Amino acid sequence: MSAIKTEAAPYLDAFRANASEPAWLVDHRRAALTAFGERGFPSRREEAWRFTNLRPLTAHAFAPIPSPSIGEGRNAERQRGISGGGDAGGAITPTRSQPSAARALPHQGGGKLGAEIDLGVPTYRLVFLNGILQSGPTDLPKGAWLASTARTIAERPDLAKQALDPSDLAGGQPFASLNAALFADGFVLALEPGATLDRPVEIIHIAEAVSAASIHSRNAILLSAGAKATVIETYSGKGAYWTNAVTEVAVGAGAALVHIQLQDEDRRAIHLAMARAKLAKGASYRNFGLTLGANLSRRDVQIALGEGASCAVNGAYLLRGEQDTTNAIFIDHAAPGATTRELFKGVLDERAHGAFLGTIAVRQDAQKTDAQQTSRTLLLSDRAAIDTKPELDILADDVKCSHGAAVGDLDKDMLFYLRARGIGADEARRLLIEAFVLDAIETVEDMRIREHLSSRVRRWLGSFETHASRAPQDEGRA
Amino acid sequence: MSLLNIDNLHASVEGGREILKGISLEVKAGEVHAIMGPNGSGKSTLAGVLAGREGYTVSQGSVTYDGRDLLAMSPEDRARAGIFLAFQYPVEIPGVNNMYFLRMALNALHRARGEPELDAGQFLKTVRAKLKFLEIEDDLLQRAVNVGFSGGEKKRNEIFQMAMLEPRLAILDETDSGLDIDALRLVANGINRLRAPDRAAIMITHYQRLLDYVEPDFVHVLSEGRIVRSGDKSLAAELEKYGYAAFGDAA
Repeated sequence: MSAIKTEAAPYLDAFRANASEPAWLVDHRRAALTAFGERGFPSRREEAWRFTNLRPLTAHAFAPIPSPSIGEGRNAERQRGISGGGDAGGAITPTRSQPSAARALPHQGGGKLGAEIDLGVPTYRLVFLNGILQSGPTDLPKGAWLASTARTIAERPDLAKQALDPSDLAGGQPFASLNAALFADGFVLALEPGATLDRPVEIIHIAEAVSAASIHSRNAILLSAGAKATVIETYSGKGAYWTNAVTEVAVGAGAALVHIQLQDEDRRAIHLAMARAKLAKGASYRNFGLTLGANLSRRDVQIALGEGASCAVNGAYLLRGEQDTTNAIFIDHAAPGATTRELFKGVLDERAHGAFLGTIAVRQDAQKTDAQQTSRTLLLSDRAAIDTKPELDILADDVKCSHGAAVGDLDKDMLFYLRARGIGADEARRLLIEAFVLDAIETVEDMRIREHLSSRVRRWLGSFETHASRAPQDEGRA
Repeated sequence: MSLLNIDNLHASVEGGREILKGISLEVKAGEVHAIMGPNGSGKSTLAGVLAGREGYTVSQGSVTYDGRDLLAMSPEDRARAGIFLAFQYPVEIPGVNNMYFLRMALNALHRARGEPELDAGQFLKTVRAKLKFLEIEDDLLQRAVNVGFSGGEKKRNEIFQMAMLEPRLAILDETDSGLDIDALRLVANGINRLRAPDRAAIMITHYQRLLDYVEPDFVHVLSEGRIVRSGDKSLAAELEKYGYAAFGDAA
């Protein structure tokens, strides 16, 4: 390898080929690692990364946990544990390369892992601790595959291969390349033609780390023609870790996927999540992201639309302190008659920063494209900031495309109206903020999930102090 | 004893010119006062200053409500103390359900008075009773506050809120403007039904027509920031006949 970027070196050093893995995977990992090494971290001179300050990420080397070099014996044990479904204790035994992370495991002997953050309704639930599956469902309906990526590699390589993507090797998306090289586990959901899941799939990621550690998970959601599923991913944890997740999505002809990403990571953590979706003819993909946590986070959603396909990419983010988030949405209208709807609502307080990059590319033969993009942001403090960059790149001539962006503070007339009815200033502000993000949350059709997301927003608002009640000396608080 | 006492009130738009130039007015429990005046006479400024709207500076004078310095109180404290402003332009609040909002407001008042808060069932009962009392429909309640309401619906919603919150002093800011005759009757009916010996109201209006339906105890003519005439309801008829110009000259 020539011209390895210095910041990439620790990650290259961390890589160990695992002899127990199939050759196709090892080859892919090596090539992806090479791509990452030559590319290095993105720089702010690149348009797509202009508004994302990666310093928290480049300031430390985040050792991957669990290390991919766990050794053949342990790897075998891990796979057995996962296929067992309920008990995978062997998977989290510490190794020399990740002592600190392993020491921090909190839930051994405790209550049910993830119980505090789950949906609270029957789901097909997979719980991951530091990127490794702890428990999964045992009662899957016919026509459905839902298992850890590690187990899928061993038992269904045909599906596992679809969790990898040629773009991993191109270097255009360096974090996806690094993820391909270093991922330890993840989930794969695959539905056969026409299969429908009667409950949502719930993926819970819990991270626990006492030192800079990175968790790379690789996932795939593969719906065959006419299949239907709802997947909700929840990310939370404790520590200054780095989550680097990649989910490959394929929605077959006439199939429908609802994909919710709830990011409530530790406020010291870094969270990068990439979803790459390919939609076949008439397919539907509805993605929603709620961003509450992490110090630095970025959500990339990249969608290629087939003929007559429809996608909705919506989201809400509520941040304070020095939190920073980017939503980077790229929609490729590659075929005619496809529909895109994007609605983002941001609430930024204190010194929080947000960025919305929304690119919609309409290719020459993508006639009758119908695309709408809206981004609205509330800035609750003079020092909060948002960068918005809508980009419509239209080559077809018979299309309907629109975008709108608005930035503002809470409406003074609304506040006065509420206060004139006896509602206190703080309560009035909370009510208006909740109302502001509501229409984005209402794009989620499942009532239980919507209520779950709303309750997380209310929890955020509950620890919210308005400027009127905030003492000046509190300004410096992170 | 006076419920509201305005004494030599001078107020200006923040950083701008003086609008109220020495208003004095006493309102006792049980009384209904009408304040009439042409556009720009200071009617809405007076309503805004009394309700605590931002953007006004009081340079002189005082307002005492129930023995308290009203101008030192926040808008919510004024509301909790029993002041209700029916807005000239009720504000649309997308995403906030009308019922949810009303319950929040009512419970804020209950808390302030040390009374127990209403649960969903008790609240619904109160809502039904007030709808019946005012003889109005419940069609606005499940919608977002004022969003997409017609002018008449917005004013009806204000009157319903007033009935729910049972203020001691209602300030109705041009509640009659922009209403057709049916809506005007409905609104006037609401105001009349809420009249009580322990309550008072100030109706601010440009036209005499509301006073055909709600009979005031006193009528005041406001011109260029001052009350230039006060009298009983016959003053309204006089105004109708001779117009504001005559009174403006008298000032």
